Amino acid sequence: MKIKTLVFLALSVCAVFILSGCAPTYPKGSFKDSIIKVCKREYKLDVKVGLIGKTAAVYLPLSDLIDFTFAITTSASEKINDVILTSSRVALSSDADYDFFVVIAHDTRIPEIQLVIVKSVLDVKRFLLNDISRGEYAKRMLIDIRLSPQAQKERSIKEVFEKMGLDKKWQEQVMNDFFRSEPAALGDIGYWSGRFYVKDIPLPEFLAEQIASRVKIEAREDKKYAEQFTIKTSKGTFVTKGGKRTFVFETLSDPKWFKDLETNEISTRVTELVFKVASHVLRGYRFSDFDDVEVIDQLNGSSVRVVRDDLERFRAKKAKLEDIIRR
Amino acid sequence: MIPRKWKMYWKMYWPRIVITLVIILMLVLAYVGLMSLESFYRNITLATMPINLIMVALNATIFVFMYTMFMQGGLAKVSKSKIRGELVNVKWDDVIGMEEAKREAWEIVQLMKDRAKVKQIGGKILRGMLMLGPPGCGKTYLAKAIATESGVPFLSMSGSEFVEIFVGVGASRVRRLFTKARELAYGHGGCIIFIDELDAIARKRVFSVFGGTEETNSTQNQLLAMMDGLSEKDENVVVIGATNAGEDTLDRALLRPGRFDRKLFIDRPNLEEREKIFEYYFSKVKYDKSSVDIKRISRKAVFKTPAEIENIVKESALIAARDKKDAVEYKHVSEAIERIEMGLKQRRHMTPHEKEMTAYHESGHLMVLYLLHPTKDVFKASIIGRKGALGVVHENPREETFTHSREVLMADIKVTLAGFVAENLKFKTTSDGVSSDFNMAMKIAHNMVWAWGMNDAGFIGDYTIIPESQLSEKVKETLNDETYKIFRTCLKDVEDILTKEREIMDRFVKELMEREELDYDEIDAIFKEYGKSSPKPSF
Repeated sequence: MKIKTLVFLALSVCAVFILSGCAPTYPKGSFKDSIIKVCKREYKLDVKVGLIGKTAAVYLPLSDLIDFTFAITTSASEKINDVILTSSRVALSSDADYDFFVVIAHDTRIPEIQLVIVKSVLDVKRFLLNDISRGEYAKRMLIDIRLSPQAQKERSIKEVFEKMGLDKKWQEQVMNDFFRSEPAALGDIGYWSGRFYVKDIPLPEFLAEQIASRVKIEAREDKKYAEQFTIKTSKGTFVTKGGKRTFVFETLSDPKWFKDLETNEISTRVTELVFKVASHVLRGYRFSDFDDVEVIDQLNGSSVRVVRDDLERFRAKKAKLEDIIRR
Repeated sequence: MIPRKWKMYWKMYWPRIVITLVIILMLVLAYVGLMSLESFYRNITLATMPINLIMVALNATIFVFMYTMFMQGGLAKVSKSKIRGELVNVKWDDVIGMEEAKREAWEIVQLMKDRAKVKQIGGKILRGMLMLGPPGCGKTYLAKAIATESGVPFLSMSGSEFVEIFVGVGASRVRRLFTKARELAYGHGGCIIFIDELDAIARKRVFSVFGGTEETNSTQNQLLAMMDGLSEKDENVVVIGATNAGEDTLDRALLRPGRFDRKLFIDRPNLEEREKIFEYYFSKVKYDKSSVDIKRISRKAVFKTPAEIENIVKESALIAARDKKDAVEYKHVSEAIERIEMGLKQRRHMTPHEKEMTAYHESGHLMVLYLLHPTKDVFKASIIGRKGALGVVHENPREETFTHSREVLMADIKVTLAGFVAENLKFKTTSDGVSSDFNMAMKIAHNMVWAWGMNDAGFIGDYTIIPESQLSEKVKETLNDETYKIFRTCLKDVEDILTKEREIMDRFVKELMEREELDYDEIDAIFKEYGKSSPKPSF
């Protein structure tokens, strides 16, 4: 084949691919509508979408979210997955710059119960590009099924209003003015009475929640820890105080006494687990905008702290836990 | 209605056209497919495309390499020459020095240009023309000129390109060649197939006793069949074959009317033609007209082919450039002829005695050649080694002579014996340097007596074709005596002349010992000093 023909072919191929690769499928201006349309067109699902800063929230009302055992039904699970997939597709193929998306599923029969899923758009992208494994991808997702905090709050306040004999018209007015606002924490995210309660999720807060969640999973899955204790509660927050940026994790473990371990020893193990998970997650996100990590063990009330560089040395197995912790 | 040229292009290039359309369709489908993807997946596809293309190219390269290595015997096969049309641009006037052949070839041009007219006036439609003759005489050049003048495509292949180790490949190439010629003739109104070195496939066929045939047989059979096919289909395709081999070595089936029915012998140019050729090639270089006498050079370049003449002019220009001259001079031409004729010099260390003996040997040759030979002249005498010889006297015929008289042959013998006689006269002994001279002299004398009837014993006829066992001892003895008689006569004549002109011979020895080489003009001048001149007219 002549050189000219080859050049012509190569140029044609380039032209085809350059032309096809230019515009985003879901432009920024129609981001919200795109999610609604795709869900309706492809899955026959009616959703609502809210945008707050760099976080997109999708509300999915379902008639069968949970069964009588309080487990999520298969049908609901499939629909939730469809919404997650749609949100991911639109977020990835758009020029809109969103970092997180939240899917909130409600059971219309029991509106107080909600399933909240938080995902990082970057995680989805890295998973699709095989940069992270399926297992890691699953662990990076925050899933929580809970009573809507806003619903609980409004119910309590309404009871007070009733006792006070406040007029129904005024009850709604006061509720709107004083008790319906952006949630302070990730745990308060939800949807209630036709309104999103979603905040613009900062990455450190997302990481703190993820680490706390993964501590529980790790304690359950790792035989070494599972034989010694279970984690009853695990909470993570990112605190900035006096210019110091700290990841704070509060844990409450339940020792298995038949192993005859001292409380302090259990506490050490729990602390070790938290630092292990935290160092792994923070390195996975290449996150370094923090100064230290603090673990408060509610079992014995101890609190230990590790600075960022020591945490990295611990992760790299260049230092032992007892050498780096500061009480 | 679809034009004929379009149909021709479809017939010739349909695989390419189909492949191009398929590629365009695939590109369109690729575009549509990509556009149906969401931009993120599209970007992933595009991002992975370069590495995919590299992998495909790598796989294809490995496949082709392995295939050619194991299935076709190496990558060299890929570059096997293919049949392809080529535009030639050799004008009729560019063909010089073969007027007779041009006149014959003009008929082909007329036939290709206006076939209908030729048929109308009852002209014979030619299917093939065979050009015979020595190499370098312009057969290919003439064929290209025919193509240019006719304005039709010209397909050129060498006979050796049909020859393959695999039976059937050569025949298949013949079929492809003729198919392509027919397609081109369909679109352009005619086509010329030129097969150079035709003898590679046109030698007399060999039929094996085991029933099999050689590969060239099947190739030649296919050529015969395809040439017959041209007559049947009345297509304007003419086959021109060219060969250096003699006509008698070619298969008779190819030479019969209807195949190569026109035979053209393209010989070396005569004096007039050589002049034209020299003029043509000298017109392309700068030369000193006061120094370079084209007529004289043409007379010296007897039996030179056009290719050799072109080479002489090119070599002269190179030598002139090396001498830092602006124009070619006569001495450059002379040196070029010498280099081409005699080869490169090989200086050997000889003892003074050996050198003197070589000088006497060569002086003997040049004296006899100059003084006694009726048709040949000395071109150069040298005692510098060339091609394994210690010295050489290069001779040159005055004119093209195609037969040799008894006198010429006797002179040839005398020239060859002169080296021996000169050595003997001076040193009273001889060397083994006479080996090839004696061989040549004896061969000529033997043939004169045994084959050409040049003897005084009355034995007329060619006795060499009679088996020796059937010849009587007496006949053999008589013929051998006659051979020896010729030998002796020549030897005596040479002894006489060299003894008589000993002074001149000693002078030539002196000159050769000093200058090592003498050109014709220098030799001629020395002879003239002694009042001697060649019996032949001057160059």
